[in-house]
Amino acid sequence: MARTMFEKVWDAHVVEAMPGDNALIFVDRIVAYELTTPPGAVEIERRFDDKLFDPSRIIAVNDHISPAKDSESAMQARYLRTWAQRHGITMYDVGNNGICHVVVPERGYVDPGSVVICGDSHTCTLGAFGAFAFGVGTTSQAGAMLAGCVILQRPKIVRIAVNGRLAHGATAKDLALFMVTKLGFKGATGCVLEYCGSTIDALSMDERMTLCNMAVEAGATTAMIAPDETTISYLRGREAQPAGAAFEEKAAQWRGLRADPDARYDDDLIFDVSDLRPMVSWGTNPGETVPLDSVVPADASESSLSYMALAPGMRLRSIPLDQAFIGSCTNARLSDLRAAADVLRGRRVSVPTIVTPGSQAVKRAAEREGLHDVFQDAGALWTHSTCGACCGLSLGVLAPGARCISSSNRNFPGRMGTGGRVHLASPVVVAASAVLGRIAAPDELAPVEPAVPA
Amino acid sequence: MSARFEGAVLPVDRANVDTDQMVPAYLMNGVDSSGVGPHLFRGMSGGPELLAAHPDATIVVARENFGCGSSREHAVWALVQRGFRAVIAPSFARIFEENAYLNGVAPIVVDAARIDALLEAPTLALDLEQQRLTSARGEDVTFALDPLRKYFLLEGGYLEFMAAKRGPIRDWLRKVGETTSY
Ligand code: SF4
Repeated sequence: MARTMFEKVWDAHVVEAMPGDNALIFVDRIVAYELTTPPGAVEIERRFDDKLFDPSRIIAVNDHISPAKDSESAMQARYLRTWAQRHGITMYDVGNNGICHVVVPERGYVDPGSVVICGDSHTCTLGAFGAFAFGVGTTSQAGAMLAGCVILQRPKIVRIAVNGRLAHGATAKDLALFMVTKLGFKGATGCVLEYCGSTIDALSMDERMTLCNMAVEAGATTAMIAPDETTISYLRGREAQPAGAAFEEKAAQWRGLRADPDARYDDDLIFDVSDLRPMVSWGTNPGETVPLDSVVPADASESSLSYMALAPGMRLRSIPLDQAFIGSCTNARLSDLRAAADVLRGRRVSVPTIVTPGSQAVKRAAEREGLHDVFQDAGALWTHSTCGACCGLSLGVLAPGARCISSSNRNFPGRMGTGGRVHLASPVVVAASAVLGRIAAPDELAPVEPAVPA
Repeated sequence: MSARFEGAVLPVDRANVDTDQMVPAYLMNGVDSSGVGPHLFRGMSGGPELLAAHPDATIVVARENFGCGSSREHAVWALVQRGFRAVIAPSFARIFEENAYLNGVAPIVVDAARIDALLEAPTLALDLEQQRLTSARGEDVTFALDPLRKYFLLEGGYLEFMAAKRGPIRDWLRKVGETTSY
């Protein structure tokens, strides 16, 4: 029978069908980090002799608060570190770490067609590789650390064909935000999204990760993109991948991982995005997003308006800012930093601006290109890599009422600090807004004066 | 846990209550799951006041998409540690719903049209075995529970269950190996 890409991966990992529509699903890779893994590891330590099913399948990253900012976070980081050492688990730690959803793919730990879990909802980022990758809670992750499997209810499958060339300053982030508005915040709950179409084919891996990263903001279990030559050349030579013929053998397998032509979906959506423009969120969830050159909608929710201190009909471009943040697992890879630096080169920011690379490897690559100079010449803060401001943990927590434009993925009340207000946008929109001190697109900026030759 | 109980309602008259609002990230500061009870709803404006006004509540009634956002199980642990045994809403985010089942908090999906009345009810009686909820004011609703999840909800022991599966899983792995062809 014809199968979708997701079904092929699912079928290959079903260990046992279970009552209801549930299945015991084998997990190829578990990503552990300091906030949600230790409570599960502690249970295994206390009740199951500290025995893990297969430590070689686990990758540990201290990422959310790294380096530690206080005694509590230091103890969490230390627990993960000693646990990883004790079990011989590969660990990316202070100096060599970053956000797990950036570190794991850039080191090559995600195989197309594999099942990857992590106790973090943005694990869907890795669906960009054609992996079935999704967030789980601590207990479910602990079950996988203990027995190699999770129990899952079979999701619905939605094919989303996206066609047309991204133009008019629109980026993968704008596409990601657009998809959340189309599917609705929660609209894809219980679904796996299979993205395809000419737009998707043309995206780089960085861009595909940005798109898949926000699938969970529509409630989706995850998104998946079939592996192609873009995927394969990204993975070739990465440290966790074999070299030479062994890699090419895997790649040959991956090339076969795509939906059969007559596969059936629970839903089938088609979008043309050639007219897509830069998007900015105005409200308190990512679904409350509109084109940057429009206004706060007339039918906006009262509670979102009051939290954000906005009124229907206000032009987004008129909204003044207190801070700008470029970072997070959505948009802090090298290509994002390059794009933001292109906007900031030769300009000055007018509000406090924080640039937090997605990983230490990204940071070093950016510095080799001199991007750190561009950001710092523009007056921005260039930090080490961590989740940081994205979830209000460190490096740029917002004051109550402060308004920040951010390249991250969530604008929930209090997400970046109690009472803080967040507008989500692409890195280039964040950079342009940082210069003008209000929500702005790059095409509004005055040209940079050419430097006078010495 | 016992399948039948009656409890006071915490009326959370909001949609999209995310887990950041239930336990903000800066309060996820333990190495194990203990100690998060006092943080419940600390990230929600008016949350602590709402809890204080309903000190005996054991059943949350809320609007759609409850538990969205972060996967943090801390949100459910905080509910458990405050004595909550059920959340009633028209819809839940997937990970929250899974976490709730595995920790003995019943995530009960009820038609959105009924939520107004349930928000008004001071107490509700739940029968998880019969999958039925009733109130003194005449509400009488049956709800669906996935059979496997219902088992974990009532019996607990998820990790023990998984531990017992290790043998068959290793057998499967030996049989299937790492060879997958599409
Ligand atoms: S960067 Fe933000 S969204 Fe991504 S994993 Fe870290 S806290 Fe979560």
